[in-house]
Amino acid sequence: MSSIGEFEGKDIPESYYPKLVKELEPINKRLNAFLTISNPEGGFPFSVKDNICVNGVESRAGSRILKGYIPPFNATAVERMLNSGFGFLGKTNMDEFGFGSFGLNTEVPAKNPFDERYVAGGSSSGAAVATSILKYHVAISESTGGSIATPAAFCGVVGFTPTYGAVSRYGLIDYANSLDKIGVMARSAEDVRIVFDKVKGSDKYDTTCTDAKFTAKDKKKVFIIDQFTKGVDEKILSSFEKLVEKFKDMGYNVENREIRLAEKAIAAYYIIAMAESSTNLAKYTGFKYGLRNERFDEHYNEFFTKARKAFHKESKRRIVLGTMVRSASVRDRYYSKALKVRSLLLDEMNALLKEGFILSPVMPILTPKMAEAESLTPLEMYKSDMLTIPANLCGLPHISFPYAYEKGMPLGAQLITSQFNDYAIMDMVSKWEKDFEYRFKYNLGEL
Amino acid sequence: MKIGLEVHVALPTKTKLFCSCSTEASEPNTSICPICMGLPGAKPMLNEKALEVGASIAKALNCKTQDTTSFVRKVYFYPDLPKSFQITQTEDAIGREGYLGIDSKKVGIRRIQLEEDPAKIIREEDYTLLDFNRSGVPLVEIVTEPDISSEEELREFLTELKSILYYLGVDIEKEFKVDLNISLGRNRVEIKNITGVKNIIDAERYEVERQGKLLKAGQEIAAETRSYNEAKMSTEASREKESEEEYGFIYEPDLTTYSTKGIELAKPVFASRLAGEYAARYNVSAKTLKELVLFNKDALSMIEHAKEKHDMKSIIASVELLSKYNMLDMKKERLERLLLAVEKGVYPDKETLSKLYKGEQVEAAGDAVDNKTIDKEIREVIKKNPSILEEYKKNPKAANFIVGQITKKYKVHPRMVSERLNEILSG
Ligand SMILES: [Zn+2]
Repeated sequence: MSSIGEFEGKDIPESYYPKLVKELEPINKRLNAFLTISNPEGGFPFSVKDNICVNGVESRAGSRILKGYIPPFNATAVERMLNSGFGFLGKTNMDEFGFGSFGLNTEVPAKNPFDERYVAGGSSSGAAVATSILKYHVAISESTGGSIATPAAFCGVVGFTPTYGAVSRYGLIDYANSLDKIGVMARSAEDVRIVFDKVKGSDKYDTTCTDAKFTAKDKKKVFIIDQFTKGVDEKILSSFEKLVEKFKDMGYNVENREIRLAEKAIAAYYIIAMAESSTNLAKYTGFKYGLRNERFDEHYNEFFTKARKAFHKESKRRIVLGTMVRSASVRDRYYSKALKVRSLLLDEMNALLKEGFILSPVMPILTPKMAEAESLTPLEMYKSDMLTIPANLCGLPHISFPYAYEKGMPLGAQLITSQFNDYAIMDMVSKWEKDFEYRFKYNLGEL
Repeated sequence: MKIGLEVHVALPTKTKLFCSCSTEASEPNTSICPICMGLPGAKPMLNEKALEVGASIAKALNCKTQDTTSFVRKVYFYPDLPKSFQITQTEDAIGREGYLGIDSKKVGIRRIQLEEDPAKIIREEDYTLLDFNRSGVPLVEIVTEPDISSEEELREFLTELKSILYYLGVDIEKEFKVDLNISLGRNRVEIKNITGVKNIIDAERYEVERQGKLLKAGQEIAAETRSYNEAKMSTEASREKESEEEYGFIYEPDLTTYSTKGIELAKPVFASRLAGEYAARYNVSAKTLKELVLFNKDALSMIEHAKEKHDMKSIIASVELLSKYNMLDMKKERLERLLLAVEKGVYPDKETLSKLYKGEQVEAAGDAVDNKTIDKEIREVIKKNPSILEEYKKNPKAANFIVGQITKKYKVHPRMVSERLNEILSG
């Protein structure tokens, strides 16, 4: 099932790459998956989410304020991909700085390749669309609260978010540093594994990056969590029940359990994420890189303020809320408490994950149309992350995979496991793929 | 009166606090990288050497032992701050709850924290330049309790602290910046960013007078941030106002918690305390000894080396002599010859001294001029000018011209002449 293995087994002519770019360009004009397209110049093509730095290529995290920022260095993950012989194809679209679940908080939103009236999901919208339309391609992507699992589910691809710290974040334009994880999207779990093996492992440039040994401990138990089915769309639930039956057929004991603190996860997540992101966004002052204010005759305060008007509305919201929750008078009530919730939730989830895997849908709602998603209030949007946030908040590895098609649109489920047991869930999805064929509307670059 | 200080000094590391850029570049903006420029995507990596020095300072200032230490982000907007936040320390600082003893009391040390220096601002007439070579240079900030209550104590505290830092390898001339908190009344006034001891004392004097006048006039002293104007020798209210509230500290999530257990701590040297001890033990002036050793490792090490075998007065004289000609790093085994000569009352001239320094053969370390010759000479001068005795009794400086004459004639150290002269005149 590995497309990387298949590709490498073939004799690829040099003309393949320019042809691929030519084929991709017009379709990309419609779907807006890529922000830049380069000739991959040999090697298996990979794309890079726009918030991950590529030396000499504009990297602006989907933001206007970073327009023109060309980093003079590669992110460690990119460097390792290039050193492993992969070919860089381009930067992929995303919600500004990763702030969004539907890919709409950007200049030109990516569209769902299954039906262009629908969202691609966010924040790694472009990575998911690219994976869904290209036959031979993997996406280096990033998740803070569900930015890999959600678009992977909406676009019908495999999305893997590793244990926090498994892949170096050096070169990642920060959203929330204690939550950001670089991961992979691909068309099979086997491709995910190949890429993960290339990019993982300690890096002196990222202190939080671990050199832990990753395992594949299979557990014969799968937990369905009450809090992860409550409030989920009926149509999703009924097809999810069929998936659960199939896991039973695959030999897993299925049990229903509770994660009591799961209900507090969204609040804790958004407090930590906003607190950290409001500090990360402080550096964008239109001064040394990106969008530059050319008027130097003003006081620095006015100068900075003018530049910061370029932020998208959602970013401004997070700066304001994030600054509020970490201010001295309320820090204990919000920020400190959220840190406590995170640590308690991790304890609760760890206890469960020692015995088995967690299986749940990725999204509680069916893929929304662009206009539907746009009409959601911020709170409704934040709540739609209720199933992806607990694992992300705790830095637990999880993998999203297509398991059904509802009126032609893919549905995604996710498996969560304990820290460092990343290979186990890849193995499970590989097993799943033996009896379930993924569908794709495009297969650009077919050989 | 209550005075508290926040003292900032640069740590003696070859590279910056969170990247491997050199701390020693001179050409502006040449020692920079994505990390210390705060480029999007870059992450800090801690320089463990800075942690070592920080922990050593904490130990020297009697801080409670911390098992671990971690960092926070302090957010504020200023052109010299590349990330718009400074990575610094608060509760989990490398040092907490210590003290520094001065003559009259112990001055509490609230906290010792590691932090990164912002870029250097160079203000020109109608534009401003930034030099990011300084951005990310490791600083240590020493925060005291408001325990200092006089100018004398302030001066003493600064001298003692500088000496301790000097002996821990800190280049105290490179950067010595202080935020001074002074309150005569109820409200605290903070004077930010004063460089150097002289300015600190001047700022303190001005502020004490200013606040004193206000109080006398029955006026309230506003809690505010002020800055020191060196040219006018006065303080003035600053425009910028930041409070703890606005900094919005959060844990620095790009760094972890660092264990301080395995850190090898430098042994602190309390030069001032040693000088006091030796002064009492060997019956010499504590002031002279302190002046010699507070900021001079070589001088202290010579004194320690020689103190058992030689007379302390001669040691001091020798050290002064060597110090005068910048030869304090003389090899210890060559010191012996000099000490013996000085003990005999013979002070080698520069030429002889430099031979001794290089370990070259010398006929005699200035034996040509011994006490007898000098005594004879002094007596002769007195015979010629008998009134000198009377003048000397009124004002000892009157003898200076004798010392000058003889020093010139025999190329000897003035101390030798004045010692002989004192003996003769008082005897
Ligand atoms: Zn640097």
